[in-house]
Amino acid sequence: MSRGSSSNGNDNSIVKFTNMQISSHDDDDEDEEQSPVGLGFVEKPEHEWSLLRHLFPSKAGGTPAWLDPINLPSGKSCLCDICGEPLRFLLQAYAPLSDKESTFHRTLFVFICPSMSCLLQDQHEQWKRHPEKGSRSIKVFRSQLPRNNQFYSSEAPKNNGSDKPLGTSAPLCSLCVTWKGDKICSNCKKARYCSKMHQTIHWSSAHKSQCRSLEESGEDMIPKAGSNVTWPEYEIINEDESEFDMEVSNSNEDAKDLLTNYDPEFDVEMPELRKALLTDNEDEGEAKSWASFSKRIARAPDQVLRYSRHVNSEPLWPMLSGRPSKHEIPKCTSCGSNRAFEFQILPQLLYYMDVKNDSNSLDWATIVVYTCEASCDGSLAYQEEFAWVQLSSQSR
Amino acid sequence: MAERGGERGGFGRGFGGRGGRGGDRGRGRRRGPRRDAEEEKWVPVTKLGRLVKDGKISKLEEVYLHSLPIKEHQIIDQILPSLKDEVMKIMPVQKQTRAGQRTRFKAFVVVGDGNGHVGLGVKCSKEVATAIRGAIILAKLSVIPVRRGYWGNKIGKPHTVPCKVTGKCGSVTVRLVPAPRGAGIVAARVPKKVLQMAGIDDVFTSSRGSTKTLGNFVKATFDCLLKTYGFLTPDFWRETRFSRSPFQEYTDMLAKPTTKAITYVEDVADIPA
Repeated sequence: MSRGSSSNGNDNSIVKFTNMQISSHDDDDEDEEQSPVGLGFVEKPEHEWSLLRHLFPSKAGGTPAWLDPINLPSGKSCLCDICGEPLRFLLQAYAPLSDKESTFHRTLFVFICPSMSCLLQDQHEQWKRHPEKGSRSIKVFRSQLPRNNQFYSSEAPKNNGSDKPLGTSAPLCSLCVTWKGDKICSNCKKARYCSKMHQTIHWSSAHKSQCRSLEESGEDMIPKAGSNVTWPEYEIINEDESEFDMEVSNSNEDAKDLLTNYDPEFDVEMPELRKALLTDNEDEGEAKSWASFSKRIARAPDQVLRYSRHVNSEPLWPMLSGRPSKHEIPKCTSCGSNRAFEFQILPQLLYYMDVKNDSNSLDWATIVVYTCEASCDGSLAYQEEFAWVQLSSQSR
Repeated sequence: MAERGGERGGFGRGFGGRGGRGGDRGRGRRRGPRRDAEEEKWVPVTKLGRLVKDGKISKLEEVYLHSLPIKEHQIIDQILPSLKDEVMKIMPVQKQTRAGQRTRFKAFVVVGDGNGHVGLGVKCSKEVATAIRGAIILAKLSVIPVRRGYWGNKIGKPHTVPCKVTGKCGSVTVRLVPAPRGAGIVAARVPKKVLQMAGIDDVFTSSRGSTKTLGNFVKATFDCLLKTYGFLTPDFWRETRFSRSPFQEYTDMLAKPTTKAITYVEDVADIPA
């Protein structure tokens, strides 16, 4: 309750309880109107082919549906810069822009290292301004294509199971089916791997028994991603946030039931408003920002993604601490223009990904992605963008 | 408007663009009208919420032992499904503006399970129903454990406060004094409700100050109950054996067998004298 209200000083033993909030801080009269926000929800895919790359899906978990299937990211960009393991696919969002021809198709891919200790180390890295070479454990790639391109037809897909891309994709790693498979198994010459680590895991789990038979049979193996290196696969559906702005009027009955028990003998007085005495200002600020965060997501509690690429759009921060200022966001590496907020990932995704809750499992308050304002076409097919991770205070 | 491959760029279903309605609406994804708040499944946002939803944490004491902040009220709903709530007062408060007065309603709600857990929530809002709903949520977030003890013989279950405690808010001070069995709650109407919800059977009280201000009176009683577990009595003299927080528990259980149990004080009849 309130430390300030008790006069004696031996409160240190209960100080842990005094940080709780009894009364509300937020003024629920004000409803700041901002730019429209698109929300992403996860769902099981409708058909087994719904998430293939020629249908331009937005998905979470599983394997990425690469937009440009040939010029995949390679080398160090596939690995976590802190532990050296290949990164795991988190989600991709298909976010085309209508103002330029070259951004007719545009997808953002987010990869993260599944280890929490890397994420804690990554926090130090993201606060560094102008690092010579950034070393992050979370990476975002942006890929865009014009309408007429060599990989897909210029007609819209019919979504009935009969669509096909124009060509095949580069071979992918047999274990994670995520990254390009540059290294080949020297025995059968069929199985491909993105890194030594994946080759070792695949060998001990499945390939040892199959290697001989594959070498002799001469047919290609169809890769299926191992479940210990990918998360469960979902499709991301987007809806606009304004559709959820409806009044919740059915809970009025509960309120009325409670009012019947209420004894009106306590006289109706009009004292001046007494502010509840609080602990220190830091906790008040945190409680306030958490309260406004919960209020905003209460409209659609199972949202996992918030997309808002407008001039003055701001991300919805759950915590007060750990927010970047303008200077912490680096400029685009290829064209030098500023980066602006595009979308953010919410912690509900961790629930859907069945992330375990032990000490080294991932936990974040939000991940905010900043992308080049001009959405430039650089030399690489997959441009790296900037991700900011805000952790909840107990994870630090 | 939402032609496939039209002015919006891309082939439907993408993020961005006006409305975001591109593509297949006929997927049955209409989520708007389904506003049944009880049926909407809770998707936990915090790690503690995920642990509770999985059922790994079944008692609130495990959360209190490690001082983990509870940020979602559904956690309390799941752990204490038998929580009762009661509106103590609806108070209209006014602010003067150029165009007259702006009235809002302040609701005081007390929740409790009658067995050692109480919470108090205060919320101000333009409508009474919103204020009550908000106050219930805040009350659930502020649930605290209440320590009960004995007046004399340690027979049966604890029934009164373990020692004399006092709480203060504003000018109101409330003092709770242990009472023998059968005394009942000897208190004014307002603290009596709070103490009943806390699960205290017998207690003598004494209050001072302007107890007419219900907000302060209720908060002072709550503060008093908060202090019951803060009071160092001789049974706490033994050194604490620290145990792992729930966030670390499970990796260790898989790694090596531990014999450490979670130690938390239970109010049972055999407290060593």
